[in-house]
Amino acid sequence: MENEKKISVPFMERPIVRNVMPFAGFMFIVVLFAILTQGRLYTVGNLKLLLSQSYVLLIACVGVFMVMTMGGLDFSQGSMLGVCSVVVCYLSNYNIILAILCGVITGGLIGLINGFFNVKRKITSFIVTICNMYLFRGVVAYATTKTPVYGVSNITSYNTLGFNLTFTILILVAAFFAFQYTGLGNRLKAIGAGETAARFAGVRVEKTKMLVYMAAGMITGLAAFINSIKVGSVTSTAGNQLETQIMIALVLGGMPVNGGAKVKFYNIILGALTYKILTAGLVMMKIEPKTQQLIMGIVFLVMVAVFADRKTGMIVK
Amino acid sequence: MSEVLLHAEKIDKNFGVTHAIDHVTLDFYKGEIHALIGENGSGKSTFTSCLTGIYHKDTGKFTLNGREVNARNQVDGNYQGVAIIVQEIGTLSGLSVAENIFLGKEDEFTKCGVKNTNAMNKKAQELLDSYGFGYIKAGNLIDKYNFEDRKLIEIVKATHFKPQILVVDETTTALGEKGRKELFKVMKETKDDGRCVIFISHDLDEVIEQSDSISVLRDGVYIDTVKSSEVTTDDLKKLMVGREMSNNYYRTDYGEKVSDEVVLKGEHLTVPGEIKDFNIELHKGEIIGIGGLSECGMHEVGKALFGASYYREGSVTLSDGTRINDIKTAIDHSIAYASKDRDNESLVINDTIQDNICLPSIEDLKKNHILFGKDQKAFAEKFAKQMSTKMEGVHQFMSALSGGNKQKVVLARWIGKDSDIVILDSPTRGIDVKVKADIYQMMDTMRKNGKSIIMISEEISELLGMADRIIIMKNGRQSGEFKRSEDLKDTDLIANMV
Repeated sequence: MENEKKISVPFMERPIVRNVMPFAGFMFIVVLFAILTQGRLYTVGNLKLLLSQSYVLLIACVGVFMVMTMGGLDFSQGSMLGVCSVVVCYLSNYNIILAILCGVITGGLIGLINGFFNVKRKITSFIVTICNMYLFRGVVAYATTKTPVYGVSNITSYNTLGFNLTFTILILVAAFFAFQYTGLGNRLKAIGAGETAARFAGVRVEKTKMLVYMAAGMITGLAAFINSIKVGSVTSTAGNQLETQIMIALVLGGMPVNGGAKVKFYNIILGALTYKILTAGLVMMKIEPKTQQLIMGIVFLVMVAVFADRKTGMIVK
Repeated sequence: MSEVLLHAEKIDKNFGVTHAIDHVTLDFYKGEIHALIGENGSGKSTFTSCLTGIYHKDTGKFTLNGREVNARNQVDGNYQGVAIIVQEIGTLSGLSVAENIFLGKEDEFTKCGVKNTNAMNKKAQELLDSYGFGYIKAGNLIDKYNFEDRKLIEIVKATHFKPQILVVDETTTALGEKGRKELFKVMKETKDDGRCVIFISHDLDEVIEQSDSISVLRDGVYIDTVKSSEVTTDDLKKLMVGREMSNNYYRTDYGEKVSDEVVLKGEHLTVPGEIKDFNIELHKGEIIGIGGLSECGMHEVGKALFGASYYREGSVTLSDGTRINDIKTAIDHSIAYASKDRDNESLVINDTIQDNICLPSIEDLKKNHILFGKDQKAFAEKFAKQMSTKMEGVHQFMSALSGGNKQKVVLARWIGKDSDIVILDSPTRGIDVKVKADIYQMMDTMRKNGKSIIMISEEISELLGMADRIIIMKNGRQSGEFKRSEDLKDTDLIANMV
């Protein structure tokens, strides 16, 4: 259409709404629980606790953020975290560096399996990663059948505020740099918004996808390390439902569930913090777990509906 | 003329920020073929889509024979007496011919919840026979038929129930000679029957020849209605654009010597089902035109040379010996490709102008291996402006732009990349005269700067006007080659196409 006369845009379609809503939502939740818990949520002790529970989610969100930017999904994250944690805890008894390294490699390998079936066998990531979610949950169950897998006895000594915070911030900064200043973000967004067109513009789509699935796994390997030093051991439920937490967090942060051009890196941080304050607030108000789940479900559904980029369509790759 | 059949009263429609049609009031008379013309984005298709139920108008009223028409969808429109034949493919694969013809009207053949397939096929076959398309079998899957036949089936689908208003939306560009003739026959019958055809086409000669009256839209606003017998194509162009157009917008030189330096060589190119043993040598500063019927394989040649074809055999080699086997290598070695399928292959439609222009040049835009947002913005702005793209800013999404402006962004991307070899597939498809002239001008400048161009086109006048050499293809093979000359006629080319 040649004539670009200014007329009213539907309220929800305005870019300003997409940019402001997540921040407004964050502030709303902060204030809401300040009132509901009479400020108890924000005592120094509680904030420390809140932070200590956020690292794993923050780190794991980074990988899934990249996968979702190119229009994919990753439901295998929880099980992946479980398997990686098993590897980290087991090997920590020999050498802590080796443990981290192998945790990362394990995550990368699982990511490659996701990538292989998605890219080479052309199965949607939704199906592939759900299959792998069950598969690797089974692996975790095997490894922890008789007893939990314990890490080396002093592994929890790493679990200090300074170490965790530095570790997480380093990962976020590195990922931000890669996403924003190397062209990676541009390529991922292009794949998410139009895969064929991205291919015709010289993006090596298949290779990029494989790499991103692998990277998402490796990053979860790092999250597994933080998880291990926090808990000190792995049981069969390690990382259970992490994948849904990640997805709710990202969507709360304003990320369109189908990726594409409208994703922003801050979706990760804003989303993970909003999610954690929301859950912590609900716990502090002594709301039953089943009711909590109900509330999260409703919040998730509403946010997905609000932030989905309808122009891109609901095609999950 | 006789009495009014359809009256459109202040029809208005917005798409987001774009005011597509602005309170258009128009009358269509009984027994006429009424053409609707205008540049891209002038609102012709939107207007007829609102009438036939593809879109819903915001405000306004259509009155047909005194009764209001308010089509909720196309089938509903059919029952209210309006039908449309669309520009792109309008039939559904995986269904039979009969099922396509009676799509949405299966109830007519249903008794107690059971569809009587035999009765439907029989009725459909009778219709096909009556149109003279008896060789098309109603019971067959539509997938068996080629694009042209499927268009004919669509004609039957849209006209068999004798709609009061038949909209023909740029259908002729998709049709060959035979299909065109059939379509014009049906249009004439509709007219002689005292009904009305609304005819949309970019081909002004065809418009004047076929229609009785012509209405012009510009930027969604109704401009004027003229009698076809009293106007020339130049008058129409002036009405469409709102200013004088120079008559000749092709390059005017003849007999210039083309360099002997070969920059790109394609040898024994074969893509199963598309092209067979195709050879080409492109020289520096040369424009090669490739023409033929739309199914002749010429579109695949562009993809094959760009490394984008699947299962390609043969070789594509640059002057330095580099082999082109994938897109990334092609782009890195200064080859550009603008696909015919603009919305899917040329552009990431749900992304911004900036991202689209920068995408192939990301590596070039890095400073010390770091990519900065402001450099991308400056780059995109520079080349979007150079192409005089109409936009609010480079942050705007592609989907909000018209066809002509989208194409400008595609070209801006490759000019920004400064590619030496440019493959343009149907560069002016569905683009109005004003932008066309810009594109030809740009191609001429590029040629003079030593860039080489392969232009694949279904428009013969464009091939004659722009190319140094014209290759005509038929059934996947080269069937003729012509040097640029003033004496070359369109009939010479056509003889090699069919």
